[in-house]
Amino acid sequence: MRLTAVAKVRNRLGLHIRPATAIVKMLQGFRSQVYFTVRGQTINAKSIMSLLVLAAQKNAKINIVVEGEDAEIVMEKLLKGFENEFGE
Amino acid sequence: MFKTKLHQTITVYDVFTKYQDTLDLRLIKAAELTKKKIRSPEVERPGLALAGYLKGHVPARVLLFGRVEIEYLNDLHKNLRSERLQGLLSKKNPFVIIGDGLEAPPELQDMCQQLAIPLMGSTQETMHLFNQLTTILGDEFSPYVSCHGTLVETFGLGLLIQGDSSIGKSEAALGLIERGHRLISDDIVRIKKREGGYLEGYGPELTRHLLEIRGIGIINVAHMYGAVCVSAKQRIDLIVKLEEWDDTHFYDRVGLEEKYYDILGVKVLHHILPVKPGRDVILLLETIILNHRLKGMGYHSAKEFNVKLLETIAKREKERKVLH
Repeated sequence: MRLTAVAKVRNRLGLHIRPATAIVKMLQGFRSQVYFTVRGQTINAKSIMSLLVLAAQKNAKINIVVEGEDAEIVMEKLLKGFENEFGE
Repeated sequence: MFKTKLHQTITVYDVFTKYQDTLDLRLIKAAELTKKKIRSPEVERPGLALAGYLKGHVPARVLLFGRVEIEYLNDLHKNLRSERLQGLLSKKNPFVIIGDGLEAPPELQDMCQQLAIPLMGSTQETMHLFNQLTTILGDEFSPYVSCHGTLVETFGLGLLIQGDSSIGKSEAALGLIERGHRLISDDIVRIKKREGGYLEGYGPELTRHLLEIRGIGIINVAHMYGAVCVSAKQRIDLIVKLEEWDDTHFYDRVGLEEKYYDILGVKVLHHILPVKPGRDVILLLETIILNHRLKGMGYHSAKEFNVKLLETIAKREKERKVLH
């Protein structure tokens, strides 16, 4: 299954180390491949360093692609995560 | 594996700020400098166009005026000069540059201002400037892909380590660094196709020299092991994909077959290396590289062995015939 969505970074400091770690932790254990695209740059969202390279600021739009058997639950968790600023 | 192919769009401002020192640039007219985009990597010395021959003239090129062009312009009558410049220049010109530290004729300055074309000058020799600009724009416009992996220079060759998250790419890179090899980029590798048909890999500036090791965190290897263990860019010679050991998969046992991966139209040798506890990945990666070097020197271990084997079989066959 392949799902796509657009999410907005709500964290005041953007997508810095803490929320990036939370994303990687959240995705750990799921089989789906997750890709984020910001400003034409696509990265693997299961890697902290890749997430940090995006240097996404507050209100930056992130195109999310989730591919795999558990895509639905992964996407739901991700969108919820962006909504609650990954617990920050 | 190689997902994005990105097309570069660069503004004249980018080029000006990035290469101001290299090309010794100064601004004469800064009209629309920040907005103007360069759409073609070509540079033109507009000799023929200035003489009035405009057939096949491409307006999207960067225009470079040297001594001959400026002297020719100055020799023309004022009206004719304006007329020729009008024919040559348009809003589509990304920028105009004058070499040899020459003065720009007032008509050229006015017209650049009018048409919102940035006008620059350089003290560098025109021919040198032409070569440099061609190389710089060629580089900026060359296509690139971004991939998930780790690039390490091992025994002088560029090794791109790929594989799923948590397979041990960064750990392998750390091991290689500890043995005296160099890190180019961890996690994200950008690959550009260079003139001459080879691939060059480099990392994003933000994460340069950084490695993320599970259980330790983010470390800066340049600080830890010294400047000798890092490098900014490297030609990519081969790709090794680390995979979890699968008992049902038949792995390459002899090395006679070679597989290639196509990146931006360039074929790169591709190995699959199964990983399991007890297999020294760093040693295996070094061995792959050394074997690759040996092949480059004309010695192919598997092929040489095969030849020897065939010779032995033929010899036995001959002996058997003699005996019977």
